[in-house]
Amino acid sequence: MIKLEMRKMLHTIAALTDLGNEINSSKDFDEVIRTSLHTCLGTLAIPKGAIARYSAKPRQLKIVAAKGLAGVVGQKIELGVDEVAKIAARTRPIKLTAERNGLAHFVRRNQEMFNKLRAHLAVPMIVQGELIGVIYLSEKLSGEAFSDDDLTIINTIARHIGLAFYNQRLIVSLKRRAEENRRLYKEMRQVYHDVVRAFGSAIDLKDAYTKGHSDRVARYSEAIAREMGLSGEELENIGVAGYLHDIGKITVDRAIINNPRPLTEREFKELNKHAVTGYEILANIRHPWQEIAYMTKCHHEKVDGTGYPQGLRGDEIPLGSRIVTLADSFDAMMTDRPYRVRLPLEKALNDVERNTNSQFDARVVTAFCRLLLKELNGASRERIIIPMIGLKFDRAQIVSQLEAIISQFEEISLAV
Amino acid sequence: MNGMEVKAKLVEGTAILYPGAYLNQLRGEVIEHRCQALLDQGVRRLVINFAETELINSIGISILLGVIETVNAANGTLLISNLNESNRELFEMLGLLSHLCIEETEERALAKFHSCA
Repeated sequence: MIKLEMRKMLHTIAALTDLGNEINSSKDFDEVIRTSLHTCLGTLAIPKGAIARYSAKPRQLKIVAAKGLAGVVGQKIELGVDEVAKIAARTRPIKLTAERNGLAHFVRRNQEMFNKLRAHLAVPMIVQGELIGVIYLSEKLSGEAFSDDDLTIINTIARHIGLAFYNQRLIVSLKRRAEENRRLYKEMRQVYHDVVRAFGSAIDLKDAYTKGHSDRVARYSEAIAREMGLSGEELENIGVAGYLHDIGKITVDRAIINNPRPLTEREFKELNKHAVTGYEILANIRHPWQEIAYMTKCHHEKVDGTGYPQGLRGDEIPLGSRIVTLADSFDAMMTDRPYRVRLPLEKALNDVERNTNSQFDARVVTAFCRLLLKELNGASRERIIIPMIGLKFDRAQIVSQLEAIISQFEEISLAV
Repeated sequence: MNGMEVKAKLVEGTAILYPGAYLNQLRGEVIEHRCQALLDQGVRRLVINFAETELINSIGISILLGVIETVNAANGTLLISNLNESNRELFEMLGLLSHLCIEETEERALAKFHSCA
């Protein structure tokens, strides 16, 4: 037979182990507290008890778990400032029935509630000097008085449960902060995109003929990129590059941009600087996506190496730039310019076809044609390009033309 | 309920429950619910047979205290049988023995039920 003291010690150690497992479990917190109360009561065979959580605003203890007591969960016990301090200063359980417990007024004021709770002991849960809550316990089933050892065990259990509350509060606070940060980040991104769009509009205002150009290039670019299977930040990245591709034009003389006559060599040189100027402007900004500045720089590069400013070839040109190049050129063809009226759709597609593998990337061209075909066939719910191409075209002829371009370049782009 | 099964049988109006090897929260809650359901059905004589029970943890004790109170409140009688030495010592240490009728075997519990009640 194991000695009684040893038996008590083993039972207490097992109870503390169970309590530790419970507190560290991933169960619902209310369930953790309910089970922790069971552990506390079962350790000393106490039939009734409750756990109250302290809140500073308003100063009150709210019953969050109870056992053997009906209708007490949710009940509140109001506390005065000095009473909070007095309870928080206690290092041992408070015998509510004792006359000189230092909280006579508090006990008298709440006698009815303590009767409901059958409360004999109030065990403060203190963490880092802060009152976290109180465990109320009835007498033991045996009717024996709580021994000093019992009070020590109860105190230890209360510290554990108090820590569980404290940690849960930290977790809730961290979750709230994380949620707030997510919200702020979302808002910041929205502001960022609004600013980018505003920049796009500002660029377009410089040229009477290009109103809405940046917005359309951005939307075409995103749609083509999506058709090519890109998603997430990569897609956003290309959209922003579409908005900002002409930002360098803000330093180009308005007279050159709006010149209705063919440009002189000097004027061309001046105009063509906008790619590098745009890069210089954007490279100084801490973008969420670093490639945007470089994509802007490369939007006049051609896959055959004859573009500017660096004369890059094929895959040396960022994919985003190759997409923006086509979106930019198509929109230019489909809008009136100082030096010509807009091209018919059939003619624009002929130009795209003729310049594939010289100016334009074949993979981008086939994706663009697939996209337009889907919009014409009604296979795509979104209509990104159609609103800009007007109604003056032979639909069957355009469908046939698109299918021919796709079949001509799809093999090449797949082979590449 | 938690999906845990606890064996039980009804012998001439007396319900006998078998907590299994480990009376913990899961099994304790099942016993609690089964007892409540039996009381609701009008059963007033219950036996908990601890023959297979090697361990009872503090949560199991707490739930058992709740069962004792529930049965008493319904004017029922609860008998405990087949306690092993270790569990008997635990009950003794916690002062439970004076609040429970305990019999050596299930058969004796059934036979002596009325005298204890």
